[in-house]
Amino acid sequence: MAVLEIRGVSQTFGQGDTAVQALKPTDLSVEAGELVALLGPSGSGKSTLLLAISLIQPPTTGRIAIDGQVLHDEGPTGVDIRAFRRRKVGFIFQQHNLIPFLTARENVLLMLELNGAGRREASRKAQELLDYLEIGHRADDLPARLSGGEQQRVAIARALANDPVLVLADEPTAALDTGRGMKAMAMLRRIARERRSAVITVTHDHRMIEGFDTVYHLDDGKLGRDGAPAPAAH
Amino acid sequence: MDLALKDIRRHLGKFIATTVGVAMLLAIVLVMNGIYRGNIVDGTWLIENTATDLWVVERGRGGPFNESSRMAQDSYRSVAATPGVAAASPLVLYTAQRDFGGASQQFTLIGYDVFGGLGGPTTIAQGRGLEAAHWEMVADRKLGLRLGQQVAFGEDRYTVVGVTAGAVDASGNPLVYLSLPDAQKVQFEQDKRALAAARAAALRRLEAQGIRGEQAERLLPLVTGGAATINAVLVRLAPGADGEAVSRHIRDWLHFNVYTTDEERTLMLEGRLKRISAVLGLFRGLLVAVSIVIISLIVYVLTIEKIRSIATLKLIGAPNALIVRLIVTQSLLLTLGSFALAYLLRLLIAPGFPRTLAFTTQETAVTFAVMLAGGVLASLMAVWHALRTPPQLALGG
Repeated sequence: MAVLEIRGVSQTFGQGDTAVQALKPTDLSVEAGELVALLGPSGSGKSTLLLAISLIQPPTTGRIAIDGQVLHDEGPTGVDIRAFRRRKVGFIFQQHNLIPFLTARENVLLMLELNGAGRREASRKAQELLDYLEIGHRADDLPARLSGGEQQRVAIARALANDPVLVLADEPTAALDTGRGMKAMAMLRRIARERRSAVITVTHDHRMIEGFDTVYHLDDGKLGRDGAPAPAAH
Repeated sequence: MDLALKDIRRHLGKFIATTVGVAMLLAIVLVMNGIYRGNIVDGTWLIENTATDLWVVERGRGGPFNESSRMAQDSYRSVAATPGVAAASPLVLYTAQRDFGGASQQFTLIGYDVFGGLGGPTTIAQGRGLEAAHWEMVADRKLGLRLGQQVAFGEDRYTVVGVTAGAVDASGNPLVYLSLPDAQKVQFEQDKRALAAARAAALRRLEAQGIRGEQAERLLPLVTGGAATINAVLVRLAPGADGEAVSRHIRDWLHFNVYTTDEERTLMLEGRLKRISAVLGLFRGLLVAVSIVIISLIVYVLTIEKIRSIATLKLIGAPNALIVRLIVTQSLLLTLGSFALAYLLRLLIAPGFPRTLAFTTQETAVTFAVMLAGGVLASLMAVWHALRTPPQLALGG
């Protein structure tokens, strides 16, 4: 079963003569453990699609189902979207967006506690995730004391804290140099392979998509499939 | 996880500085409360601490505090003869200013009948009351005089035999008690040269009327006036006497104005204290409003500084309750912390404050409740902004 299934999803801003169709009717299906890249120039509709998938900005038309649950079908389906995101979706941001007054561990703990984990269990799992992302030794540091790459790893740990079926990454390498960017992408590949989460990454940098299963290209709101590049060497 | 406390812990210096700033403002609100209430306490202190049932003053006057009142000294005898009056005694009071210990100080001088008369000091903290007919004084400790110290009024020197605590006139100035003749002497005593000039002028007026020589000398004391006036007569009613009937009798037959202690108090509150109380009350209200506005702005700015974090929280699925709690908790901690500090500052300020500060638990509690409600209200604007923040703000660069 596909983790993400979208059919005829489009996004139009404005009305009448001023209406702009930022995303043309789009179909997309992503399987568990699949690594998908959305490529495209600025203003091509990448972020619009990401916002639509996460229901942060519900689409004008279409149907969206995540993990078998229909969240939008030409309108709201009554599902508590925020609670659903909290349980099933992980987000990785361009600027990492760690909560600046929480330590690395607390940033991950927050996500676990939001999902109802007990304090001891949450603490153990937070450390486990930070160790998994090789940042466990900086668990008690505030984000301001971490490098960009380290912050991104903490952000990835936070995104994985709820064992998401779907990870949405918005330009996760934009704030990193090439080396650190490559490393971050390698981690996303590892997540998809080892944790069986579907990962959709928005990027404009072709160099970062090495080893992705599927690459889509967005141009002027139209989604086109580029095919699957060769697997990356681990 | 309490995000509000975590945020405060990470920005402790900033939070403390903000709290201290707001606390200083709230301390001014509390001190203004004290000034407002102190003004009323001072204004009515003498009325409420003079052991009398009735105040008899010059007819048509609202004296002796709100308006001057002059009566012949022996008028107290006719008041004393009124049916239902157990005791009546003369009282003089007037404001004076003299140098004490190198500082010019204003005070109110009260003269009363030392031998069993009404109107003497009621709150002696050190020493004793007046016992001699002359040259003794009781002064409030605000004047800074010591027991046994000698003070010169005119040509005479007076010994401080007693010190009162908190005995003040309606303006908050300390009281000085003298015997009636001493007070009258201090009040009416003239400089020798001024006295000689006044006598010469009076003689010339008599001579202009054709009165000369020995006859003019005999008439001179009658035209230069004397010191035998008082400002009020204090009355103690006989047991079981009808105060209203006694007042009516004095008004109708002796042609004086009569006020009960309650009426004097009302006269003071509705007259002399009314405008200043209104002004102080207005300032107090404005200060509370300004404090709430400032707390609102601080809470709002604290929220705006976290707006990207709030957007991130919304995006990762944090419920609104978590965000509301973050803002409201910080607002309440700021308000509570500031109020507690302001209360401590008030305790430090009060003893050295140049005017009487009077505090009531009820007023402090009401101020606290208003500030607390203000703090919650203040956070509503920030909460509203936070809840309107789109989660997509967390996306992008």
